[in-house]
Amino acid sequence: MNIAQHEQYRHSVLPRTNQDEGSRQEFVKSLKLFLATNISPRNRQVYEQLAKPEFERKHGRPPKDRHEVRKTMNDQSHYRFWSSMLRTSQEMMWASCQTPVERQLDQLIEQSKQATSEKSNLRLNPSLEIPKYHTAVDIHCQPGAYHTEFTDDDVAAGALYDSGVYLYAMGRMGPFNEDMGASQVAYIKEQYPDFAPKRILDLGCAVGHSTLPYVDAFPDAEVHAIDVAAPMLRYANARACSLGRAVSFSQQNAESMDFEDGSFDLIVSHILLHETSAKALKNILAECYRLLAPGGVMVHSETPPYKDMDEYDAFILDWDTYNNNEPFWGYTHELDLPKIVKQAGFDPSDVFEGMATSAFEAAQHKRTNIFQGGDFGGGGVWYLWGCWKR
Amino acid sequence: MGMLETIGSYTKLTSQVKLQKHAKGSRPYYFDEPAVDRLLAMILALASEVSVSRDRQDTLERLISDKGLLSQNEIEDFQPTKEILAERDARREHYLGQILRIVDIDAADMGRNDVSPAWEKVINSVTETN
Repeated sequence: MNIAQHEQYRHSVLPRTNQDEGSRQEFVKSLKLFLATNISPRNRQVYEQLAKPEFERKHGRPPKDRHEVRKTMNDQSHYRFWSSMLRTSQEMMWASCQTPVERQLDQLIEQSKQATSEKSNLRLNPSLEIPKYHTAVDIHCQPGAYHTEFTDDDVAAGALYDSGVYLYAMGRMGPFNEDMGASQVAYIKEQYPDFAPKRILDLGCAVGHSTLPYVDAFPDAEVHAIDVAAPMLRYANARACSLGRAVSFSQQNAESMDFEDGSFDLIVSHILLHETSAKALKNILAECYRLLAPGGVMVHSETPPYKDMDEYDAFILDWDTYNNNEPFWGYTHELDLPKIVKQAGFDPSDVFEGMATSAFEAAQHKRTNIFQGGDFGGGGVWYLWGCWKR
Repeated sequence: MGMLETIGSYTKLTSQVKLQKHAKGSRPYYFDEPAVDRLLAMILALASEVSVSRDRQDTLERLISDKGLLSQNEIEDFQPTKEILAERDARREHYLGQILRIVDIDAADMGRNDVSPAWEKVINSVTETN
């Protein structure tokens, strides 16, 4: 099959757009890319030439961390304009994707049932409690977040997310939004060529966009994926069926799952951890340890940690913590990895970190190759960390 | 197949379920006066709609050109007549009048706020009972 690389692949449950809806989405994509490429980088100049000298005059020293940079940048006009427009672009992004979903919802629900009529592999748990870190605020400003159901057999959140992620990354994660999973699994195969997992688990899978590359990379493995949100999983199941991939989806909280001890050789997550909480993170890592078989490994990807960045780069990547309904973002960029894996039962000497080169090369010319708020997928590499279980 | 493949009809679908329109969580504002953020958001929304219209026009031009009714060059090389120019001038004047309506109001000294003496005078003039 010849897949066009410049647009999102129209699998059977992807919401379709009419002329104006499509143009509205294209505009958001252009606006976001323009902000990331032309407006955002000037913030560093503003910092170096205006904000930092001002701070130094006042305090006799430069800002010491991302928090001090943020406080001084909050007064800068250019930063205010960029922030205001970036926040608005996020809201426009969801709105531009929501209109087609709302209009087609009956049909999308029907499509998802049809797509899964023959080989559905989904376990839902209506009594699962949605964790507070998902209900307190709507994560990344997605109205209703992952979990809200607006009607019976709802797939709206999944359909909205699938279209939204494509715009959020400005298409730079490829026609299947799969760049995180594809890059991470390519990294694992390259680093550990003899590693052949038989059972794989993807945590917080959303619509399964990062899950499917594992099915392709390890065709003999059994692939499981969990999420707390039913509308995501219904959509994910239909999407996977439509794309001819076999994944076992179940509605579970990664803090406490119903799989047997030692069930998996490989447990992965992709930008999941920053959407949890400090307590949940501990529980999730403990569950990873319990569920891994000896010789198994967990691998998690996020944007890069702040420890290797100067105070400005940390500040600009930290934008989401304060401006995009991502309250746990900052915390997960300052993890003490040996400490937290030890608490979970791992040997801290087995921790590793890596940078996985983006698998979707066709988007290289649209990347800024910097890590900054509002530029997801622009770095050209994905940061990952993990730990083996002895 | 046979599902969403009839895209032509799919674009006309309607459903009754209403989704949540705003994200839960307090929205940050960046300027000392939040109205500036709101105006900026409106400008971006308008910029989006202008871009949407331009795309639609581009679609039209291409379809017309593909059907051989006229070529892209004919549109680019089109020379409006005196009458067409006059019609366009009038339309633009009306258009600018709408966009700059607020400035015109200010100029006409009607842009007073609730407590302006001029307005109090108007209120008094209509509320006098004897």
